[in-house]
Amino acid sequence: MTTRPNDPPVLILTSLASGPKHGYALQKDIEAFAGTSLGPGTLYGAISRLEERGLIEPAGEAGRRRPYRITAAGEEALAETLAELRTIVDEGTARLAGARPSLAGGAA
Amino acid sequence: MTGLLLRLYPRPWRIRYGAELEELLVASSGGRVSWRDGLDVAAGAFRERLRAAGLAGDPPPAERTRGGALLVLCAWALFVVGGVGVQKFSEHWQGAMPNGGHGVPFDAFDVLIGGAAVGSALVVAGVVAALPALLRFLRDGGWPLVRPHLVAASVLTVCAGAGVAGLALWAHGLTGPQRNGSDAAYTAVAVLVALLLAACVLAWTAAAVACGRRLHLTHGTLRLEAMLAVGVVAAMAAMTAATAVWWAALARSADPAFFGGSAVAPQLLVATLLMLAATLSGALGARQAVRGALAA
Repeated sequence: MTTRPNDPPVLILTSLASGPKHGYALQKDIEAFAGTSLGPGTLYGAISRLEERGLIEPAGEAGRRRPYRITAAGEEALAETLAELRTIVDEGTARLAGARPSLAGGAA
Repeated sequence: MTGLLLRLYPRPWRIRYGAELEELLVASSGGRVSWRDGLDVAAGAFRERLRAAGLAGDPPPAERTRGGALLVLCAWALFVVGGVGVQKFSEHWQGAMPNGGHGVPFDAFDVLIGGAAVGSALVVAGVVAALPALLRFLRDGGWPLVRPHLVAASVLTVCAGAGVAGLALWAHGLTGPQRNGSDAAYTAVAVLVALLLAACVLAWTAAAVACGRRLHLTHGTLRLEAMLAVGVVAAMAAMTAATAVWWAALARSADPAFFGGSAVAPQLLVATLLMLAATLSGALGARQAVRGALAA
């Protein structure tokens, strides 16, 4: 999986980490915690890809508002991605502190 | 509107996710889909179509080769439509040249004709290579799956054939200037027949794609199709370059009356742009086909 924080799969897995959600609930939750709005085509493109790879699965009966939940493999993939992102965040913070201590201190 | 947008997706995807996506569209837009969401859904559908054709994502090598080769076939069909436009425009061009039968435009035109022969032969070879698999597919009950495409292409062929025959009979009684634009009724019918012929080429291509997607092809056949695809694209590239050289040389040395004014003739411009677009699409397909063949 990619390590960009605004990648639809990362956002979907992060959202589902707190419990199953259907498409509309996912869209609203992602908007609330990431401040980014995923279009319907982008959202369902990512959902179908994640389901194909076994990272999420349907959590209920087939229907117009079918919820999805994260699988164990999905949790593992999300943890790996977050660890990679954390490495970048830590590295960036450290470098920023070296170059401009006041700015990095303020950010922390 | 939502129903129309959903129809852009491949059928299997639509069956699996269509109802959910429709519900999301209704819930998020209150029944009135914004242009932004509409574009997003259309782009999503395009991505799914590419994936279904083995041209995007991470398909198995065999599907990648098949999708690439079929894209080259579609590109060839588009190229033929553009090429016919160039052929029609170039009728009797030699008469507009001051220096007899030699020079750059003559060499470029020879490359164009040679490329057409080589490209056609390679496409026919690709079809022949897939014939045994097609016969197996039809014998095993595949006919109903491809019948609508083949029937539509056959009907269009009969109509186009009748149109060409009728036009030829009509043209027999007309003078040269009448055949070349001064008779408005003849010109209108000729354009209609040309459109019918283009539709015929595209219908047979659609039928070939419908069959090709369902055939069980061996690794050897797929590898051969990939090689042929590369050859077809090379022929298209050579012909496109030759057309540009021929056009430039002709504009420099031919009788200006041949272009009827400006050397940037709209018919030739559209035809050449079609050929260029087809060559670029074909190159994308050939790349996919080779990548799949190498990975298999």
